Order: sequence, then C-alpha cells, then structure tokens
Amino acid sequence: MDEKTRTIAGIATGLQGVAYDDKRLAELAAEVEVLNDAVRKAAAKLAFDDEPAAFASLMEREAGQ
Amino acid sequence: MRNDDPALWDLSEVADAIAARRLSSVEATRACLGRIALWQPRLNAFLRLDEDKALAQARAMDAELAAGRRRGPLHGVPMAHKDMYYRKGELSTGGSAIRKDWRAPVTATVLEKLDAAGVIELGFLNMAEFAAGPTGHNVHHGDCRNPWDQARVTGGSSSGSGASVAARLVYGALGSDTGGSIRLPAAACGVVGMKATYGRVSRAGAVARSWSLDHVGPLTRTVRDNARMLMAIAGPDPNDSTTSAKPVPDYEAALEGGVTGLRIGLAQPDDEPVPLDAGVGAAVRVAADTLGRLGAKISRVQLPDFTALYRAAEVIVKCEAAAMHRPWMEKTPGLYANQVRSRMEAGFFIPATQYIDALRLRAHFVTEFLATSLAGVDAIVLPAIPFPIPTLEETDTEQKGGPAVLKMVAGFTGLTRPFNTLGVPALSLPCGFDRNRVPIGLQLVGRPFDEALLYRIGHAYQGATDFHTKVPN
Repeated sequence: MDEKTRTIAGIATGLQGVAYDDKRLAELAAEVEVLNDAVRKAAAKLAFDDEPAAFASLMEREAGQ
Repeated sequence: MRNDDPALWDLSEVADAIAARRLSSVEATRACLGRIALWQPRLNAFLRLDEDKALAQARAMDAELAAGRRRGPLHGVPMAHKDMYYRKGELSTGGSAIRKDWRAPVTATVLEKLDAAGVIELGFLNMAEFAAGPTGHNVHHGDCRNPWDQARVTGGSSSGSGASVAARLVYGALGSDTGGSIRLPAAACGVVGMKATYGRVSRAGAVARSWSLDHVGPLTRTVRDNARMLMAIAGPDPNDSTTSAKPVPDYEAALEGGVTGLRIGLAQPDDEPVPLDAGVGAAVRVAADTLGRLGAKISRVQLPDFTALYRAAEVIVKCEAAAMHRPWMEKTPGLYANQVRSRMEAGFFIPATQYIDALRLRAHFVTEFLATSLAGVDAIVLPAIPFPIPTLEETDTEQKGGPAVLKMVAGFTGLTRPFNTLGVPALSLPCGFDRNRVPIGLQLVGRPFDEALLYRIGHAYQGATDFHTKVPN
C-alpha cells in the first residue's frame, strides 16, 4: 500500500468510519489525487477575498439583455 | 398539414386548440394515454401512470374553460415528470430502491407552478437512480430505452423525460441537470431541453444530486414549447434561496426576433476531455452554416479549459452527494447500484478545502468564460454529446464495467458538465441523425439569464430545419 492509499485508509477508518478493501482504497486514492490536483492547480488564481457566494452575485451582474 | 392525432401536435398547438375549444383537455389526455399504451412496453419511460387522476384533472380544466376561466398558456396540457419532483403524500422514488415506498412531505415548487398553470399530470417518469448517471440505465426500475432504437440509451439522468417527449407520449416533461441530465436525453432522443441559468428555476421539492450544480428545466418537442414551459416554472421562490429575483421575461414573445446580425461562435472542442466524432462535428458545423444563412455572423471560438471545469464539478458533486447520502451509504449500501454508490465514495476523502476552493473558483471560471469564449459573440454552438449514441449494452457499467466502458460513460458529460460549473444557460435541440439514425444534439450556450436569446436562435433554426418534426416509429 503506497502512502496516498494509506492516507485514504486512515481517513476511512479514523475519521469517516467507513471500511473498504485494499483494492478499493487504492482506486479511491487515485481518484482523489486527480481531483485534488486539478483543483489545487486551478486554485492558484484565487485571492484571499474570493468567496463561494461571489458566483451568485457575478451571475446577477453579468446577466444578458 | 396537421395530423389527425392530437398526440402528435406540439404543446403550443394543443394548448392553443384547447384554449379555442377546438380540442378538449380530455381528448388531449386520451390521445396521450393511447400513445403511452402503445409505447410504454417498448420504452419503460413511465414509473407510475395515473389515468383516472389525469382524466379527472382534464375534465376539471375543461369545465373551467367552459366557465370562461383560462389559467394560462398551458391550460389543460398533459405532461409527466421525472420521478424526483415531490407531490405531498404521494410516492416519489428518485429512481431508487431506497425510496421505493417513500411519500413526499411537500409538493415541489415547480409542480405547484404547473398546477396553477392548469397542467395535467399523467404520472412520473423513469430516471437514473438519484439522478446519477448519464445513460438511462436503472437497475431497480429497468432501463429506459431510446424511442429511435430501443437497443440504444436515452441519455440520462432524465431518461423518461427525453423518451416520453420524443415518442409523443406527453407534450412536455420536467427534467433536472447536474452535469447534462436535461441536455443529454434531449440530444439522444431528438427533443429540446433547456438548462436555464443557475437560480432561474426553483429546486425546492426536487431530489438533489448536488445543491450547487442542480438545475431544473423543461424538455419539449419544439423551442416554442420549451419557452412556454420555462416561463411557467421560472422565477423567485422563498423556499429556494438560490433563486434569482430577476423578472422572468416573456420568452415566447421574444422568439420571432430572428438571428440577423447576431454573432454566434462555433466551438471546436479539443480531444479533452473526450474526442469529437467526425459525423457529430459535421452536423454541428452544418447547423452553424444554417444559422449563417439566416443572417447570423459565424466565427470560430475557443472553449475554456474544460478539464478544469469538469474536475471542479466532480469535486463539488462528489462531496455534496457523499454528505447527503451518507446515512444510506452506511446503513443500506447494498440498496444502491454499485456504480451509483461508488461514484460518490471519493467525496468522503476530498479535503474540505478543495471543495471550498472548487466553489470559490466558479466566479473566476465565469469571468474567464465571458472574457474569452463569449467575448465578441452573443452565443456559442457546440455538440451536446460528442459521439453517436451507444447501445445499452456498450454502456452498462453495472454488468460490463471496465475502463473503456467507464470512459465512454464519463464522455457523455464532457461537453455538458462544464456549463453546470459555469451556471450559464445551455439549450439542446436536434440538428441531425448519426450513422445509426439516432438524433444528434446541438448545444447553444449564452450569458447568464440570456435564455431568451438562446430560444430566439433555436426557434430561427427550427424554422429553417425539420429535425424537430421527425417522429420515431
């Protein structure tokens, strides 16, 4: 079991209270890594003041005519 | 010349005929029931049909009309809806086994609005389990099948909505769209589906897939029908804090503006996240040419980084779905289809900071999209589904599985899910047939709350083409 899979295994049993076999833990580790990396990479453009609710107000401001 | 069978008329035609008392709501309802009897064994589009209730409603609507009261432009029109819209005291399965006997404690806002508009409810329609799945497979209630070729998928998750509208079983149906679930069945079945701007239509009383990405919307036979139905369900709702207070335009009144002078961008998707089939790409280019001949200025535009938009959506969906499904995933995991449960499990392990960052990124993504892809154009056209519609067997993740099948299934949403992240309006309408004689969907995308413009373009396109008039047999 590699380090990322061990991390997922630790979260599963230690934090979330769910159980998976080693094969599934490895699959989940790979899936989470892809998603996590994509968001981390994109998040480089985020600034301190960016908040989730900015999305709704932006949609209102940018409304088409 | 108009067909004698009113089931084959468009929603607008039948509504106007009812208003003029050239046709009764009972006659329209019986016409739909006749089509349902013929097609249901082939499609499995309906999960529940209530003929007596529908006919009673139709008689009541006819009586109101006879007394001089017309509720509005949908008065007396028969519809049915994806089985995820709650009606107080009635069954609402969400396409699942977990809720097969569950009765809703409230009525969905959109159903209340359609009730007030005088719509007849024939029943509730098949769907992917908990709106999770882009093909139309359902291990609990049976797969819904495409009216054009029953070996092929309908698209999902609003499978019954797409199939029943295409087969002329109903004049309109509600679907929901978290990653393409209105536009995919609209495309695969050859009908019109609108995912309006996030906040345009209330989600209250609808089964959630992802609170942040769910969109409620109509599937119909024509753009005009769709505009009429959206107008009835759109608007603010005190039961859904994400709804916008913006006034709802008269979409139908704005249909006739034509496309002369409009600037329309033709997007050529890259190979990521999924390659574009040559035949599908050609059909969309021909559609753009048609709009050009109608007076629009067509130019090429570059799409944003779809992979980033797609992954951000996946993070949001998985985290929100895992949170809401957690009690059932712990207590009754075996009641889920394997592929439905397994697609949520990663949500337990994505750090909360990444989930929040995905939400924070949405405003940046929208700003970039408006400043790049939509800069200099009024709307964008691209395919809804990037490949010909596959068979049920080819896409059966539950029975067949494997990386190739999973990749194909994921590919369904490659060109639709990014617009859920962006929250902008996206309309799918038929623009041809693939090599298997199954419909191809054209997707129109616009600025926030610019549904009226998309309808105007779509209506002009349908005025110059006849794909929307084709009926499966």
